[in-house]
Amino acid sequence: MDALKKERRQLEEAGARLISEACKAGADSAEVCGSFGHRNKITLEKQDYHLASSDEGYQLGLRVLKGDRQGFTSTNSLEPKELKEVALRAVEIAGFSPGNPFFSIQANSPQKSQPGLALWDPALAQISLQTQKDWVEWMRKEFLKDNRLRLNEGSLEVGKSLSLLVNSKGTHHVESETSCVWSLMGMASDKDVLTSFDYFSHLSRQALGIGEIIIRTTLQFRESLLKNLKIGEARSYRGPVLFSPRAVLDILLDSLIYHLNGRVLLDGSSRWKLEDKEKSLLSSAISLIDTPWLSDRFSCGLFDREGTPTQECELFSEGKLKNFLLDNYSAKGLHQTSNGHAVGGASSIPTAGSHSLCLRGGNKSLSALLKAGDPSSQGILWVNRYSGQTDPVTGDFSGIAKGGEWWVNGEFRYCVKETLVSGNVFDCLGASLLDLSSETEVIDSSGESPSALIDGISVTTV
Amino acid sequence: MKQLADTLSSVLEKAPCWAEARFHRRQSQSLQVQKGLVKQAKSSITAGIGIRCLVDGAWGFSSTSHLSASSIEQALKRAFECARSLSQVKKSAVKQLPQIALAKGEFVLKGYEELQNMSLEEKMAAVIKAEAQTRGRSSLIQTSTCGYNEQFEDKIIVTTDGAKAISRLCRNEMRLSAIAADHGEMSEGQHTVGRTGAWNCLFTEHSIDQMGEEAVKLAVELLKAPKIPGGLATLILSPAMVGLLSHEAIGHTVEADFVLSGSVAQGKLGQRVASPLVNLCDAGFVEGQPFAGGALLVDDEGVPTQNTMIIKNGILESYLHNRESAAAFGVAPTGNARAWLYQDEPLIRMRNTFVLPGNQTLQEIIESTEDGYLIDCPLGGQADATGEFMFGAQKVMKIEKGKVTKLFRGATISGQAFEVLSSVDAVSKEFLLDLGAGYCGKGQPAKVDAGGPYIRCKAMIGGVQE
Repeated sequence: MDALKKERRQLEEAGARLISEACKAGADSAEVCGSFGHRNKITLEKQDYHLASSDEGYQLGLRVLKGDRQGFTSTNSLEPKELKEVALRAVEIAGFSPGNPFFSIQANSPQKSQPGLALWDPALAQISLQTQKDWVEWMRKEFLKDNRLRLNEGSLEVGKSLSLLVNSKGTHHVESETSCVWSLMGMASDKDVLTSFDYFSHLSRQALGIGEIIIRTTLQFRESLLKNLKIGEARSYRGPVLFSPRAVLDILLDSLIYHLNGRVLLDGSSRWKLEDKEKSLLSSAISLIDTPWLSDRFSCGLFDREGTPTQECELFSEGKLKNFLLDNYSAKGLHQTSNGHAVGGASSIPTAGSHSLCLRGGNKSLSALLKAGDPSSQGILWVNRYSGQTDPVTGDFSGIAKGGEWWVNGEFRYCVKETLVSGNVFDCLGASLLDLSSETEVIDSSGESPSALIDGISVTTV
Repeated sequence: MKQLADTLSSVLEKAPCWAEARFHRRQSQSLQVQKGLVKQAKSSITAGIGIRCLVDGAWGFSSTSHLSASSIEQALKRAFECARSLSQVKKSAVKQLPQIALAKGEFVLKGYEELQNMSLEEKMAAVIKAEAQTRGRSSLIQTSTCGYNEQFEDKIIVTTDGAKAISRLCRNEMRLSAIAADHGEMSEGQHTVGRTGAWNCLFTEHSIDQMGEEAVKLAVELLKAPKIPGGLATLILSPAMVGLLSHEAIGHTVEADFVLSGSVAQGKLGQRVASPLVNLCDAGFVEGQPFAGGALLVDDEGVPTQNTMIIKNGILESYLHNRESAAAFGVAPTGNARAWLYQDEPLIRMRNTFVLPGNQTLQEIIESTEDGYLIDCPLGGQADATGEFMFGAQKVMKIEKGKVTKLFRGATISGQAFEVLSSVDAVSKEFLLDLGAGYCGKGQPAKVDAGGPYIRCKAMIGGVQE
């Protein structure tokens, strides 16, 4: 923490100055969200090293209220003259904006520390450029062990950062974190076969053991790309399809979360209402929570974007709706209390959203699901990655099954190309959901899900 | 700006290697009104300098938000150290950058001052009115939203090999959307527009009223529209859809960094990749379309942008280059290096990508279509190195015996880019750049535009199976 002492002081001084200038200029209340970040990054391109960079910078966002009128400005400068102008501009914007009764800046209660939420590692904060280069070389070498692989781009970034949330009602929170994030994007080619691009990214907040994790995650990625070289044909049909954890998160849970968003609920665009809580709305296999306290996820912390203490939030339990994702705006409009789901960066106005979703697994193994989905041995599609459109309003989705696999009677046959899937999210999570696998997977350090066997999906091939 | 350009020049004079300094100040303002309530009114400024060095064939980069000479010198030192450190492990050195006439002087696109002189208050009043009118058009409208964004971009690009360019432009965009609800069914219609220029440039094709009217009409009509059957079909793509096809399916595969990674366009220069009716370009400045959303006079490496003919009469003519890839291919750079913010390195990105118009009218093309679909109102899209692409469309209309008959719910269109382009058998006279509200994502966002005429082709529709 001492490593960022100077930066913390500068950030806090700038925050205090912005609030003071805004109040002097006529704001009734003001809130500053600030951040400082330092990163060293090495990127790979076309099998080789591409660029090394070293950066640091600040970002400050000021939200002011004059009555129920809101103004927002942001800057990356700490210069007092610039901060004064930013404050005056925010108050000016609030001055000509029409009122909105749901805006608020609130005092916040303190938060207890959470066991398991360890965001700062002194060892990672002091990692040398040479060690970072070693990690990148391990990743590059591991990936290129097979000469059929092509590395389009990759990177490894070590960073340390500070987040500040202060307001004129007495809220004052600072969190610091370290991170090491690596990612690869590549494909495989062999003779006339060229696979689709695929990618992965991974986050670690501690230096200890990173080398092993880098090699393990790269090896998994390499093997999944090589599997795609075995190409065959799917068939057009309507019936059961297996969705990978990534597909469940990208296709199904993204749309589900839209309808659980407090702001969407408030404006009447959600398919559900507040009174629907405790009603059985989805398959009884669906139990979903949103958690802010897992250090190995990108979105985690003790406070949300408005300074409200975060909490673990049960969204669905055995198909019953339990909660919506509320920030102060939606909570005020719905006569509720925020449950710590204000999200956004320093340069954006807070809005409601999720932290890290965890869908609970089922009772059957993945291999049992693959067999169960193909009782007549005609073969079923396993959607690995999805490239397509989902209409969050209707829940209709349609897109390409990238890296899709064809399984017959529980056995992998080959990967498929040019295969489209379409269906409806709410059917998929309702009557059409046949089962969830017992195995779950964390995808790109963001969300966790099992695989899902779903009936009634339209599969279209050439 | 001139004083800062001189400061950058004097700092770079001390550089022990090839170096590039890029000052970028972006001022953006954004408004959003939903159901009569202002949800967002904000103004942001981000400014700083990015320094890139090339040492022994390796790149280093650093940035600073402080504009003093000493801060810039420190950033130069950090970028140099990064490059030197990387050169120790880099396997294949970057070739010497092509010696070309780099941009010098001022490069200004129209509309900057005009847009800045119009107050945010005035823009907010227009946005509030547009949203209210949209909402009032039908009792079935549950929610309507109007959003407006604008960006003022000031840049200085100086390199040790001669670039010294000051550029200035502004971009803006408007989105109107309406969600209709009836007996438990919901659907959304939207209309978006994006331009480089002043406020009025947004409304050269459709007035704000027309935009709202079209969004509401689509939302209401989609409530009762059936789902479309999936399979291979004859499609007439609207200019906006052709823009998506040009950008997603072709544009990305001919970005030279993707080509070097092994995209499907690798080794295909001089080969037939499309129907002879297809001529496809990517241009910084499009004649007759001065307000194109991706307009750019000089790129972020100081290279003057040009009109790059990618496909001529169906033959692949050129890839899109930055200075590094141009050196690798032994050609001149095409002015496609772009960075999103000062702290980002320039990448190969498209600007305005489009198919040139043909000789038939849209009416003639529809009348000569026995069985197919007219596809319009694009949603997002993605492409693969293999040339496999997908894009979403909100409006799909059946064509039967030369007539447009009924509306279906939106669907995904997919295919293999060069196969779809080879199937093109009709190209219209009507031409429009219609994707100016779009952003391209490739690690960093980039403001782009795309479009073209109506074209008829064959591709897959991701619909339902019985």
